[in-house]
Amino acid sequence: MTKLSKNLITKNLIAKNLITKGLAASLLVLSSFSYADSLLITNAKVHTATDKGVLTNAAVLVEDGVITAINPASPKADTIIDAKGQSLTPGLITPMNQLGLIEVNAVSRTRDAGDKKADVTFDPSLAFNPKSTLIPYSRKGGITRSVISPTGGDTIFAGQISVVDLSGEYHSVVDARNAVYVQLGSKSKGSRAISFQTLYNKLEDAEKALEKAAKAKAKAEKDAKKDGKKGDAKDEKEPSREAKIINSVLSGKPLVLDADRGTDLLHLIDLKERFKLKLVINGAGDAISVAEQLAKAEIPVIINPLSAMPNDFDSLHSSLENAAKLTKAGVKVILAETDTHNMYQIRFSAGNAVSYGMSKEEALASLTANVADAFNINAGTIEVGKPADLVLWNGDMFELSGYVDKIWINGKAYSTKSRHDKLRDRYMKKTDMPRAYVE
Amino acid sequence: MQSAQKAIPSLLVLAVSAALTGCQQSEPQDAKVTINLNPYPSTYQPLAQQNTLIKNATVLTGTGERLDNADVLLENGKVKQVGKNLSAAGAVEINAQGKWITPGLIDVHSHLGVYPKPSVESHQDGNEMTMPITARVWAEHGVWPQDPGMHTARAGGITTLQILPGSGNLIGGRSVVLRNVPSNTMQGMKYPNAPYGLKMACGENPKRVYGSKGVSPSTRMGNMAGYREAFIGATEYKRAWEKYESDYAKGLNPEAPKRDLQNDTLKGVLDGDILIHNHCYKAEEMAMMMDLGKEFGYHSGTFHHGIEAYKIADELAKNGNCAALWPDWWGFKMEAYDMVHENIAMVDAAKNSCAIMHSDSGSTIQRLNQEVGKTLYKANRNGFDLKEEDVIRWITINPAKSLGVDGDTGSLEAGKRGDVVIWNGNPFSVYAKAEQVFIDGAKVYDRDDPKYQAQSDFLLGQR
Repeated sequence: MTKLSKNLITKNLIAKNLITKGLAASLLVLSSFSYADSLLITNAKVHTATDKGVLTNAAVLVEDGVITAINPASPKADTIIDAKGQSLTPGLITPMNQLGLIEVNAVSRTRDAGDKKADVTFDPSLAFNPKSTLIPYSRKGGITRSVISPTGGDTIFAGQISVVDLSGEYHSVVDARNAVYVQLGSKSKGSRAISFQTLYNKLEDAEKALEKAAKAKAKAEKDAKKDGKKGDAKDEKEPSREAKIINSVLSGKPLVLDADRGTDLLHLIDLKERFKLKLVINGAGDAISVAEQLAKAEIPVIINPLSAMPNDFDSLHSSLENAAKLTKAGVKVILAETDTHNMYQIRFSAGNAVSYGMSKEEALASLTANVADAFNINAGTIEVGKPADLVLWNGDMFELSGYVDKIWINGKAYSTKSRHDKLRDRYMKKTDMPRAYVE
Repeated sequence: MQSAQKAIPSLLVLAVSAALTGCQQSEPQDAKVTINLNPYPSTYQPLAQQNTLIKNATVLTGTGERLDNADVLLENGKVKQVGKNLSAAGAVEINAQGKWITPGLIDVHSHLGVYPKPSVESHQDGNEMTMPITARVWAEHGVWPQDPGMHTARAGGITTLQILPGSGNLIGGRSVVLRNVPSNTMQGMKYPNAPYGLKMACGENPKRVYGSKGVSPSTRMGNMAGYREAFIGATEYKRAWEKYESDYAKGLNPEAPKRDLQNDTLKGVLDGDILIHNHCYKAEEMAMMMDLGKEFGYHSGTFHHGIEAYKIADELAKNGNCAALWPDWWGFKMEAYDMVHENIAMVDAAKNSCAIMHSDSGSTIQRLNQEVGKTLYKANRNGFDLKEEDVIRWITINPAKSLGVDGDTGSLEAGKRGDVVIWNGNPFSVYAKAEQVFIDGAKVYDRDDPKYQAQSDFLLGQR
């Protein structure tokens, strides 16, 4: 959707003065991507999703797509939006979905999220389609970024995870390959133990190889010094592509692991300690049974807050109260919608989590700041220096009656209108002609 | 449903007397062969109930009315009265100030019990995908009444639900309508006298399931041929039985047609005893299924999922079809691509429509009220003027109508079953919770009282 929805923005021509704000220079630098002019949102109830909490009657200034001030001394901008006291939140970030990777699940040629041959190097972001109809539709939910993940292949190594924005513009893969995804837990064939062993061994082997390479390098340097020649370790080989990715996990790239059962989660806590990993657990059906341990190990969990039934023998503790209880126990909770086509409703899921004990600010964090934290995304809070991914809500963002009034991604306004709305409009118009003639 | 077995003794008498009087027949009549139409009868009994007076609530009656600060009186398991300032000696009084009351919710599309949790291989009992026409199978034979999902659905205010076979087949089998009470047997939940339904499926599912096995149907043409052949067979079967019955009535001693389970059910459709519940997404396919019904002389019933129902809203209403819909599911198949959020509102807007919100999910059945809420506000921002008292019909009286039990439940009218939900507030809020649920005047769920929170055997000792 390249069309900027002009009707959403009230131009403030009087405030338009690019030169005095020093914007001209930066606009020239960014010639390939034209940001909207400066934007000031006034009189908003700003939910920062930081420890600053909620600021009432606040103003947020956006320049070059970045938040440059909260309550600026000089309230001037090209465009000024009066929020009229409504809530302004960070754009939501949805984790672990196939946005832009699947248009229609049952249409194989629109599916690029998984491959039988997928391994740890698999990078579905190369197949990301910013023109997918799911993207403007998802903006109805106030979603501005998404963590897209592969669905997996024959091995436990599903591949790499990337972050995209929901601008619908070309080049909207923001952070490619910023996490690695491994699928553990119960298996329809064989034993889950093999999965754990495979992952453990892979990490241990990589660790040994790194140690060996470091030793060889040190020795080569020492020898070289002795001989007065240039160091040249015989064993020093370029690591394989796969090894490089495993090494990046050992040096702190987020590793996302699917697991549900309490014992599985405890193994992962040990794994994190052993290899000093940055772990994120996805699914975490029975997380509540080991909540304290997860909190202590500082492992965030991605859960579906609407899970209330014992889906399988790994998830016997499902309850609508789990999101709240895990948060209270000190676990960083991230809420997920497993249906990529209907991620827009994640805020309603969060509303249910609020209904069952989460505070609204905790629920907001679980859709924004906590996701950003887990995946090293530079977004998810309203703070100076962050990209201006912002949502102005009409009413309560968690309520069925609330809706996105305006949405900005990198400071640029986008529409929430999708082809679904166009279909509705076509079939609601009075006409004597076949609908095919109706706009 | 009336048991045909009961008719046997009197017919025997008739046969014997005919033989004695020796009218035109040449041989004595054998005992008349009849088919027992109700071999797995309901044993449902309401739980212990007390007369209950719920006071001072906002009441959505399910008939399109909203009463503020009103009372609902349940007596002997029935709705006795709805109105202001009611009193009843000896009734348990509940002060529902600030709360809302609706009829018990009804879901016309559930697979609870046939696809229960935990969803392990052994529990996959909803789709007999071994041949495209399986009118011979009955969902009730696969229902596990201990499905934990029955209990979570009850906590969401569901008092009646239809359990359907899946949609892998052109004709998937019979449905069963259940009262959502805890029971060890299907019969203990079975809705007394509710008509059976027949699950049919249009479109992609059957043609994919069988096409991938290299057998028919592999196209939508094959789908239509499959239904038509089935109903041609059923028409002959019905004719054979009718001939048998009329010959027998004439005093002849005809040979009874050979029993056929498939055709027993399809004949039930042709006789108007079994209602059609048709998984069908697309406008042109629904129109085809309406004509198919006319071709064979049955009514095409309720279209389930109906992603494109909005495109033929007038035709659906004119033909008397209900449309059971989701608020927002889409994109999982090509036939589910043209979803619009306002679908149910557009269907509802036609005169004499029958719009239904359904779940088809063990999860959203717990929040059918919220599913309605998703559409309510969105539709009202886009040209509709819907009120709570209008949309409650989508999950109460309209599904009751689709199931043929609207004379009995689905609204708060005197004489109907005492199926009632007390909500903590407006039921179309994301924060809405069913606080108390009554089925036939008996309290079956209370959010604040563990005594009324039933749990499946499966979960005992698991956590």
